[in-house]
Amino acid sequence: MNGRYRAQWSRVSLVIASIVAFAGFAWPLIAMAVPSEARAAVPLLALALLPAVVVAVALALDREMNSATTVAMLGVLTAVAAAIRIASTGVGGLEAVFVILILAGRVFGARFGFLLGMLTIALSSVLWGGFGPWTPFQMFACGWVAAGAGVLPRMTSGSPRTAARLEILMLLGYGILASYAFGLIMNLWFWPFAVGSGTDISYSAGAPVGQNLASFGLYSLMTSTLTWDTVRAVTTAVGIIFFGPAALAALRRAKIGRARATRQSGRKTPATTTPRNSALLDGGTQMRRSTAPGAAVAPPRVQRPSAPV
Amino acid sequence: MRPTRFTYLKAAIVLAVGFVMLRIVYRIVFGGAGGNGVVLLELPRIRLGGPFEHITLFGDVTTGGITNAAASAIPFAALVLAIGTISAVVNIRRLLTRGADRGPVRTVARALVVALATFPALLDAVRRVRRARELRGERGAASLIIPVLEHTVERAVALGASMEVRGFAAAKRAEPRCEYPAIIRDASLGYRDRWSLAAINLEFTPGTLTVITGATGSGKSTLLSALSGLFQHVFDGTQLGSIEVAGLDRDAVPPRETAGFVGVVSQSVRVSFVAATVAEELGFALVIRGVAPIIVEACVAEIAGRLGIAHLLPRETCALSAGEACLVAIGAALIEHPVLLLVDEPLADLDEPARARVVDVLDRLAHHAGVCVVVAEHTFSEWADRPDAWLELREGAVHRIARPTQAPDYSATGTQIVGAQAAVAQAAGSQSRHAPIAEITKLSVSHGELAAVVGASLTLRPAEIVALRGPNGAGKSSLLHAIARPNQRGVVVIDTRDVYTLSRRQRRRAVALVPEVFDDLLFATTVEAECARADRRAAASGTALRFTRLLGIELDTASLNGRTSAIMASHPRDLSAGERLCLVIAIQLSARPRVLLVDEPSRGLDAAARALVGAAIVEAAAAGAAVLIATHDRDFASRYATGEFTMGSGRLEAGAGVIS
Repeated sequence: MNGRYRAQWSRVSLVIASIVAFAGFAWPLIAMAVPSEARAAVPLLALALLPAVVVAVALALDREMNSATTVAMLGVLTAVAAAIRIASTGVGGLEAVFVILILAGRVFGARFGFLLGMLTIALSSVLWGGFGPWTPFQMFACGWVAAGAGVLPRMTSGSPRTAARLEILMLLGYGILASYAFGLIMNLWFWPFAVGSGTDISYSAGAPVGQNLASFGLYSLMTSTLTWDTVRAVTTAVGIIFFGPAALAALRRAKIGRARATRQSGRKTPATTTPRNSALLDGGTQMRRSTAPGAAVAPPRVQRPSAPV
Repeated sequence: MRPTRFTYLKAAIVLAVGFVMLRIVYRIVFGGAGGNGVVLLELPRIRLGGPFEHITLFGDVTTGGITNAAASAIPFAALVLAIGTISAVVNIRRLLTRGADRGPVRTVARALVVALATFPALLDAVRRVRRARELRGERGAASLIIPVLEHTVERAVALGASMEVRGFAAAKRAEPRCEYPAIIRDASLGYRDRWSLAAINLEFTPGTLTVITGATGSGKSTLLSALSGLFQHVFDGTQLGSIEVAGLDRDAVPPRETAGFVGVVSQSVRVSFVAATVAEELGFALVIRGVAPIIVEACVAEIAGRLGIAHLLPRETCALSAGEACLVAIGAALIEHPVLLLVDEPLADLDEPARARVVDVLDRLAHHAGVCVVVAEHTFSEWADRPDAWLELREGAVHRIARPTQAPDYSATGTQIVGAQAAVAQAAGSQSRHAPIAEITKLSVSHGELAAVVGASLTLRPAEIVALRGPNGAGKSSLLHAIARPNQRGVVVIDTRDVYTLSRRQRRRAVALVPEVFDDLLFATTVEAECARADRRAAASGTALRFTRLLGIELDTASLNGRTSAIMASHPRDLSAGERLCLVIAIQLSARPRVLLVDEPSRGLDAAARALVGAAIVEAAAAGAAVLIATHDRDFASRYATGEFTMGSGRLEAGAGVIS
């Protein structure tokens, strides 16, 4: 398999896996559409489906991500994100981790971000405990949050400085949106389990769609949208404003390998990093070069002079 | 951070109980807790309107209702408990390590293993940066998170390179021709359109030791990485001409495919460690190749025996001293018996005994084991006549030189230093009759059981540069940190005030410390912002001016303004190491402290950068501060210091005196 074909394949498999996983998240809606005899099986199916899709994604992406630089970056950033997640559990769970997921997804692309989100949940669960039926759901939701930042459009307008500001602004908006979306989608699959039957906001597959949506809306509003999600949106926004520029610069300065990096992000990144000025170019090591515009341009391959024998 | 089986079980129980409670709460709030049994609470029923008209809040709460609610939650709670029990029974770490070695998800498992191995380093970095930001007088989260992120990203890059050169993810292994370790013909190397080395012709033969010297940025690391293949395949460099390594075209064969016969020891060995223990680190290249565990064990034991590090095998890689870490990295590179061994600045972090040992090991490898050893290095004295050839990189070209006997050349900024030193001498002369500016009495520091500093007493005078010398682990850093942040009353008195009792702001005006890992203090995206921040913190101005003066640039010289503004607009971490250290010194001087402490100012710097930093220290002293530098660099101390103390196993040694 050549590289481009494989990259294409992994992208397609990721999209398919996401669609299947989304169906798992939306099982309450699906259960309303199936015949009433089959309804009881739907929630069980959803709980079993998500772990299976996680395994399928790991199998599909494993070979594609198999390069030393990618694995090292993925591993190290997973450690950072998991540490942030564990450190911020005391204040309500998943708030601060979104900042690093969004910024890393932005710099290293959707596929990398997706895996980072998944592995962060996996690692923090390994370290802290907290494995449960929700773990695969959290893995997918966090993966989507990070991947989403990777598919946002590139900022091209104006000077590098304006582009950098616009990028932060865009990530800020995305961060707030993602915070609420994350809460909503996690509620969607969990709501029937959490409330159970026998209350007025219980899920009922046989009830009219409107009533179920209203129940879900009230549940979501009361349990997370007004509280956790808002806290999460605020932390994410504050984090992106305060650490965004410096963190993006730090990540971009270490952008991984040539072919892989360009394939992963599929685009040149806008400038937030100061270009190295020529007076200083020779200092330091060459491992940490700037990825400012111009820096991302591949060197011209000059005709190679034939070596004397 | 190490969870026990009980952790998982406990977490599962807490979550399961929480789930049941939550369901009871929902029932009570959303009108479902009524039923048989005793009525516990009579809450008013509230009917909602609009789209929510099917919902009624509250209502009676009965024992039967609560029991029903709890019972309905049991299946899901049981599922939570079951998953918790499974994760408590299964050893997830071992599963991950196994999965990383072989199997269909080894990449993902490897990433998780790397993440687990990164945790100790991460915690270390957090601790260090926390101390550093305190030294800078910062409190915000950015001053913690950004340096930690920079550090971890640096680790990721080093780790990636180190995994690549040891054969990670290699699809195949190339066949070497061992009689020609490396041949370079008409090669030019550069990043983008800038060539750092042009038209090089070199041939390396088996059984030789070659040392490549040259200033920082002269291309030593570039040349080594071009031989290892990292330059062409990982760092995005462009190569013209031909480089053949063991008969293979370096531009066409990636490092991972030559891991079996090209060994690489990187500049920053400690951040390049892939594994948690020394034994795993040494065997890494074999394990990822799928070699049977019993053979890996035998090879590891053999290499460890040869290098005399067998006693380190069970140790954790994060608990090694600089010298041990260097030997372990060399061992890991030797595990597959390479034809060519590339070592980048192995001596930079080492004290004298460790240097001698490493030089000895490399010498034996070349001349007894027949390996072609190529070393990049900018210190000379330790090598004596062991190398077969010396190469110097200068102005983009390779020069074969005779053995350098001279100490590093400081002449570039010589006149400037003479002037400043005269100023220091003059100031020192006029001040020496005055009372000392700082009195340190019976200062002791212990790290747990270990006594790092025992009863150190010394005095410092204005415009004086005192060197604190001694081997690694003598307690120099501990002493400096304890002077900057005393742990008890009355031990550090500066300007007649007890530093222990001073407020944060007052302390900054009394004493400032530039720590050894000075990069930890930097967290802005431009030099300008960094200086402005320092000004704001110190409620002073002129940090930028001071920085440029430390660099030897006069702001009012029109021809240099371009360079100044370029420096001001650049990312702090794009500066060279020497310039970065000057920036940190300028930042730490922003509150005009009476005492400046600098930990290992010359470590890892080449001659020019050392001269730059030396001049900066002289400048600070000339401005009236008392300067105390900890260093194991004899040349540096004798060149810049006006006085000297020696430290050994925590004690300031007797006979410490002032150099005339």
